[in-house]
Amino acid sequence: MATATETGVKKNFLTGLKEAIAEEMESNPNLICMGEDIGALGGAFGVTDGLIARWGRERVIDMPISEAAIVGVAAGLCLNGKSVMVEMQFIDFISCGFDQIVNMTATYHYRTAGEVNMPMVIRGPAGAYGGGALYHSQMNEAWFANSPGIKIIVPSTPYDAKGMMKAALRNPDPVLVYEIKDLYRRRDLEEVLPEEDYIVPLGKASVRREGDDLTIVTYGQNVYHCLEAAKNLEKEGYHVEVIDLRSLVPLDEATIIESLKKTNRLLVVNEAPMTCGFAGEVLSRMSEKAFEYLDAPPARITRLDTPVPWVKPLELFVLPSVEQITEKALKLIKY
Amino acid sequence: MATTKTDPDQRHNEGREPAKLASDLLTADDYHELLKQLYMARYFDVRLIKEKKRGRLRGTLYSSHNQEGIIVGALYGLRPTDWISPIHRDMPAFFMKDFRSGWDNPERVGMTIEEVCGQVWGKVTSPGRARDNWSHIGSRAKKIIHSTSMLAGTIPAAVGVTLADRLNGLDSVAVTFNGEGSTAQGVFHEAINFAAVEKLPVITIIENNQWAYGTPTHYEYSLEDFARRADGFGIPGLVADGQDVLDVYNKVCQAVEFSRAGNGPSIVECKTFRSYGHGDHDDDRAEKYRPEEEVEEGRKRDPIAIMKKIMVEKGFLSPAEAAKFPAEGKGASEVTDEDFPPEVVAYLNRGVESAVNAPVPEAHEGGMWVFREEN
Repeated sequence: MATATETGVKKNFLTGLKEAIAEEMESNPNLICMGEDIGALGGAFGVTDGLIARWGRERVIDMPISEAAIVGVAAGLCLNGKSVMVEMQFIDFISCGFDQIVNMTATYHYRTAGEVNMPMVIRGPAGAYGGGALYHSQMNEAWFANSPGIKIIVPSTPYDAKGMMKAALRNPDPVLVYEIKDLYRRRDLEEVLPEEDYIVPLGKASVRREGDDLTIVTYGQNVYHCLEAAKNLEKEGYHVEVIDLRSLVPLDEATIIESLKKTNRLLVVNEAPMTCGFAGEVLSRMSEKAFEYLDAPPARITRLDTPVPWVKPLELFVLPSVEQITEKALKLIKY
Repeated sequence: MATTKTDPDQRHNEGREPAKLASDLLTADDYHELLKQLYMARYFDVRLIKEKKRGRLRGTLYSSHNQEGIIVGALYGLRPTDWISPIHRDMPAFFMKDFRSGWDNPERVGMTIEEVCGQVWGKVTSPGRARDNWSHIGSRAKKIIHSTSMLAGTIPAAVGVTLADRLNGLDSVAVTFNGEGSTAQGVFHEAINFAAVEKLPVITIIENNQWAYGTPTHYEYSLEDFARRADGFGIPGLVADGQDVLDVYNKVCQAVEFSRAGNGPSIVECKTFRSYGHGDHDDDRAEKYRPEEEVEEGRKRDPIAIMKKIMVEKGFLSPAEAAKFPAEGKGASEVTDEDFPPEVVAYLNRGVESAVNAPVPEAHEGGMWVFREEN
C-alpha cells in the first residue's frame, strides 16, 4: 500500500493524514468515509487517495454536492453504530452543512442524556495565505467553538497531523479537524514518523519553543509566523515561548497558565477574524485565570474583520504577518 | 388517487404484477385493532390538550387531531426492526411504534406510554431525561430517530441508519414523517436525492395538512399533488387519503415492499387537515390566517368515522357497535372519557399517573452529557 509506514523516510503533513485514515480504516471495520470526490479522485488534495481501491464503495462513499446530507447521513450512521470520517472539500463549504453539525450532531449526546454518541470526524483543508480568496481560505473554527458538543483540533506538524487524526478517529465525540492546506506539502516540515501505532491526545497544547520573556499562543499556520518572529527577537536577545494549541476544544489552559507564570506576558495570534474569534477566547480566559501573573496588557493579532481577499497584496494586508507579530511582541516585552 | 401523465402508481408497479392491496390480507381483528389505535392516538391528543389547559404541562403542544390515520396506518405496515422518524405532530407514534406486537408486550420495539408521558411532563422517566421538549426524544434501541426542531432535519439520519443496516446485511426500512411545510427545506432534497442514488429504503411520508404554521400550501409549492416531486428524484411518489387509515396502510405497505426489495426510496403524500393551530400557542390566533369554514370543512372527514363506516360495510361492526364511543367529529373541549373505549383511557391513565408521580431531573444534569469523553 502506498501509505505504508516506511522507516527513516521523511514524510509531509498530507502523508501523515493519509496514513492516519488508512490505518484507522484497517483497524476499525466500522469506520466509513464520506465526502465529495473522495473515491476515484482521492479527494481534491489527495488525502483519501487509495482508500476506495482498498475498501470499495461500501466504506468510501462519493457523495453528491450536499454537505447537509453528508453530515446528516453520517449522523444516522453513527446513530446506528458506525464511525464516520466526513471530508469537506474545503472547510469553507462547511457552512452548507452547518445546521446538521451544530443542531443535529453536536447536540446528540446531550439531548439523549448520553444514550447516543457521535463518533464523527469532519475534516477539511483550511486557512489563508495561498490566494484562495473568500471561499477557499477560511478559518471558521469560532462558529463551532461557540456550539457546545464539538471538539476542534488544528494540527501543524506531520507528526501531530497523523497522531491527532488517529486520536480523532477513535474519539467517541464529533471532532472537527482544520487541516492547514498550505502545510500539506511543505518540504521544510517533513519529518520521520514513528513506525509503530501512536496517537497524540486531543486537548494538549505543545510548547514549540521555550522562552521566558513572552508567551505567544497560536495554532495552525500562524505557528510558523510566530516561530519566525521568535527567531527575529532572539537576535535582539529576547526569548519568546511559542505555544501551539493544537486543540481548541478542549483547550489546554494549564499549559498557557504555566507559561505565563514564567513570562508574565501574553500575545495570541490567529488568522481568523478578530470579533468573537478564538484568540479573544484565549485572552479572556487568561484575563480571568492568570491575571495576577500578567505584567503587560494581553494582546492579540488576528485577521482584520474582513473576508479573505484574492490577490496577494490585499490578502497579506488583512492577515497577521511576521512583522506585525515581531513588532507587537517587542511592545509587550518592553511594556 | 391522482392520475397524471407520469402516474406515480404506474411507475411504482412497472414490470410487476398489479399490487394486491395489503389491506386485503387484514382480518377482522386487524380492523378492530386499527380502530382501537385510532382511538388511542385521538385520546392521547385530546387528553393532553385538556391537561395543558389545566396548566399541568409546560411547553407547546402540537396537536395530531384528525391526522391519526397517517400515524396508525403507516406504523401498522412496519416490522419491529424498522426505523421511524416522527416529528412534533406525531407524538403518539413514539409509543405506538410496533403496537402490532402487543401494546404491553415487553419485547415491543417502541417506547412505553410511561416514557412518552414522562417526556411530556418533563420528568426523569423521559427517554431523554427531559433535556429537550415535546417530541424531541428518540431511542436507538427502539429504532426511533430523535427529532429536532429543524424540519426535514432528520431525513438524512434516516438515510444513514438504513445505510448502516444495509452494510450489516439487514433489510430494515426507515419511515420519516414530515409536514408538507418541511418539503421546501434544502436538506429534504439533499437527503432524498442521495437515498435515490444509493437505493436506500427510506419512505418519506408527507402529512399534507394544508398549513405550514400560518402559511397555506399555495405559498409553499406549485404542484397539485406533492408526490409528483418524486419524479424529480427518479423515485415513486404515492398519494394516500390521510383520513383513511387503510389507504395509508396500503400505500405505505406498497412503498415498504418496494424498498425492502432493494428498489430504493419513495414518497407517500397523505392528504389530511390540521384541526387546530400550529401549536396550542396559536389556537386562538389561527382564525387570523385560516377561515373558520375551512376548519369546519376539514374536520368533517374524521379518520375514526371513516374507519367505522368501512367496518360496518364489511360487517365487522354492527351499526349499534359503531354508535358506541362517539369521539369522532368532536374537538378536545367536546369529548369526555366516555367517548373512548375504557382500555384506551386506562392505558393513558397509567402513563399520566406515572409521569405525575415521577421526579423532575436534578438541576445539575443540565451541565451533563455534552461529551461522551472529556478529550
